[in-house]
Amino acid sequence: MSRTSGPRADEHAIVVDLGFGDAGKGVTVDLLCARRRYGAVVRANGGAQAAHNVVTPDGRHHTFSQFGSGTLAPGGPVPTHLSRLAVVDPFALAAEARHLAELGIADPFALVTVDRRALISTPWHQAANRARERARGSDRHGSCGMGVGETMAYALAHPGDAPTAGDCAHPARLRRKLRLLADHLRDRLGDHPSGEAGPDGTAGSPDLEECVSAYAAFAQRVRLVDEAHLPHLLASAPVVFEGAQGVLLDEWHGFHPYTTWSTTTTANPLALLAEAGRPGQARRIGVVRTYTTRHGAGPLVTEDPALGSLLPEPHNGTHPWQGPFRIGHLDLVAHRYALAATGGVDSLVVTHTDAFAGAGPADGSGTADAVEATDGRPLWCTAYANPDGTALHLVPEASPDLERQERLTRALLRVRPVLAAIPDDDLGGAIGRALGLPLEAEFGGPTRADARVSGSRGRGPGRGPRRGRVTRRAPTRPN
Amino acid sequence: MGSSNWSTDAYHARAAYNAAAGSSSFAYTDDVASSLPRDKWKVHPSLDPHGVTVRESRDSDAHPESLAVSVLFDVTGSMGRVPRLLQKKLPDLFGLLLRKGYVEHPQILFGGIGDATCDRAPLQVGQFESGNELEDDLGNILLEGGGGGQVTESYELAMYFMARHTAMDCLDKRGRKGYLFVIGDEMAYGAVKAREVREVIGDDTRENVAFPMILAELQRRFEVFFIMPTGSAHFGNEDVRGFWDTHLGQNVIYLDDLEAVSETIAVTIGMGEEAVDLAQGLEDIASAGSDAGDVVGKALRPLSRARGSIVVSESPDGLTGDAAGGVDRL
Repeated sequence: MSRTSGPRADEHAIVVDLGFGDAGKGVTVDLLCARRRYGAVVRANGGAQAAHNVVTPDGRHHTFSQFGSGTLAPGGPVPTHLSRLAVVDPFALAAEARHLAELGIADPFALVTVDRRALISTPWHQAANRARERARGSDRHGSCGMGVGETMAYALAHPGDAPTAGDCAHPARLRRKLRLLADHLRDRLGDHPSGEAGPDGTAGSPDLEECVSAYAAFAQRVRLVDEAHLPHLLASAPVVFEGAQGVLLDEWHGFHPYTTWSTTTTANPLALLAEAGRPGQARRIGVVRTYTTRHGAGPLVTEDPALGSLLPEPHNGTHPWQGPFRIGHLDLVAHRYALAATGGVDSLVVTHTDAFAGAGPADGSGTADAVEATDGRPLWCTAYANPDGTALHLVPEASPDLERQERLTRALLRVRPVLAAIPDDDLGGAIGRALGLPLEAEFGGPTRADARVSGSRGRGPGRGPRRGRVTRRAPTRPN
Repeated sequence: MGSSNWSTDAYHARAAYNAAAGSSSFAYTDDVASSLPRDKWKVHPSLDPHGVTVRESRDSDAHPESLAVSVLFDVTGSMGRVPRLLQKKLPDLFGLLLRKGYVEHPQILFGGIGDATCDRAPLQVGQFESGNELEDDLGNILLEGGGGGQVTESYELAMYFMARHTAMDCLDKRGRKGYLFVIGDEMAYGAVKAREVREVIGDDTRENVAFPMILAELQRRFEVFFIMPTGSAHFGNEDVRGFWDTHLGQNVIYLDDLEAVSETIAVTIGMGEEAVDLAQGLEDIASAGSDAGDVVGKALRPLSRARGSIVVSESPDGLTGDAAGGVDRL
């Protein structure tokens, strides 16, 4: 049920992470939904590997993965729509619904609509994903082990055979597709020296009939919808598009091969809006932390292990597939690259503005050399220096070219960050100015109650001509 | 992360989906039922017909050619599943109407029908909506689960409201009737009783209106259909079937599976708008991923034949064994 109180939002919002993920998309969506009434939170990329932590002011915590992060909004949960561009994991959805029910959400499944065309990720994809990562040994790509990339890859190679959410309602069709998938993966990976049972017929492989009946229960319980649903939804109420992962992990703009098989820019939400006849009708909101993080392998130019002891990370520990959570100084170069890659945003949300409070040299830890060197003020990276002293300029290209991205990755692994103290006590404001963006909000703590919402709703640069308003339901009605 | 978890995951997922199947998002019903004794139950303010001048379906910039569609269902004990099913199938109803252009700008109203002789909420009527608000209306419907056991519900009272308390641009501006679907399994009372109209709707009226009169009045504004689930408690009751057949003829739709209710309504409207014939409608719902085609086809074939939109090949004269026409053999 959508909320029945509070002011209605006046335009669609797209929330995108300008880093490598984990910047705070969840709290941003939660804040938006707490302040304004939205018709739905829409997922337009990625799958169950998303892990958006939301803590409510009353202390409830949930890690959103398939559900939208507006589910705990005060005044009633905002429904979730999993669009055709999302990857759906019915098992993860079920597990998440159980936890949401424990948190007091009356009937979580009733909140969800799923586009029948959305791909589903299955235990077979998961097994293939893990087998591939294991085979890479120490050269892991930092995937989450959830099989989302595998799902996309299989669908691209076998468009007609990839199981979709709609197939779940047709057991015979689904069974055929799952068999094909299992056969395909056994051919590709069955004899892989992984030392563990693969996605094949050996002991421990997924039970096809168990899965078919679980998926049928999913189709029975969750509302599957067709292509008319989202355009209709967009016509009847403003929505929030909740991005998964970050622009710097984008399949084309990220640093190959340490990328995700997903479009993490605003491109997918904008494509869905255009399909619905509303091109560009949305406010694009970028999210960064006051420092830059990366979960998994790949370049993190400003990485500084010393920061780890200063900046605790309650929700992101060492992940069995991604490895340790990595922390670096705020990387303006990388975030500007992300902004250019996604075609700009209209405003900025800065999270963790409280992270450096009390993190100065006075705590006597003696480990935070970099922070000490600047009187305890946090640092940012303003440029990359090549080994020969020249600057490396990071510029996204319009045309996809993975070889170019791979060369870029190699260059990034060689550069050193040029660091300086962030020049101002107003961390959020300084970061907004440095990125040339008006501040939408800043978070000085983990919950929406810790957010300071910017008074001005000014338009950011690069927005282009002002677009038409979202149309609203108009019939007047007595009584 | 061992692979042995896979089947366990499947088991737990299935259990979670199945366990939830009985629950509902009828928050208002759950709230009222858990906090008040039954005699204190009352209609949610957003659905209370009392004092309502008109429920309106109007054109707007966003919806320049609105078409009013109303779905009123029996919320008494025998029909408790219907609103829950409708809520689940709701996105499909919009989708089916819109996707093939059957209707460009549907505005849908939901209502609940009980028994005015004994229920606390004999009539609940939402607004004509074109968006998610419909789900709010559904969530606010009180599933009283009452009814009297006399095989009659106050359908006539709902018809009175819809005939006299609605305003529709489709009719006023374009001369096109709206659609009204009543889903139920019992008979209407023989007349709209003035006392019930005063109490439930608030009109100051002294005269009863006979059922055929109010139906005729309603049919000047709406294409009226009665959907009767064949699995319902009273389907076998000849009186009930006879009653609706007498008054609505081919517009009575016998539906084998209520799961197909959205598809049935959509295709009925598609045929009514002459956007499709039955065969095309069934093709459309199949392409939308629905496997309700057989059920819908069976339910709507009589209506489709009455509209003449399907050509039935007839046997040449004299070859049939039917003595009623043609040539008697031997």
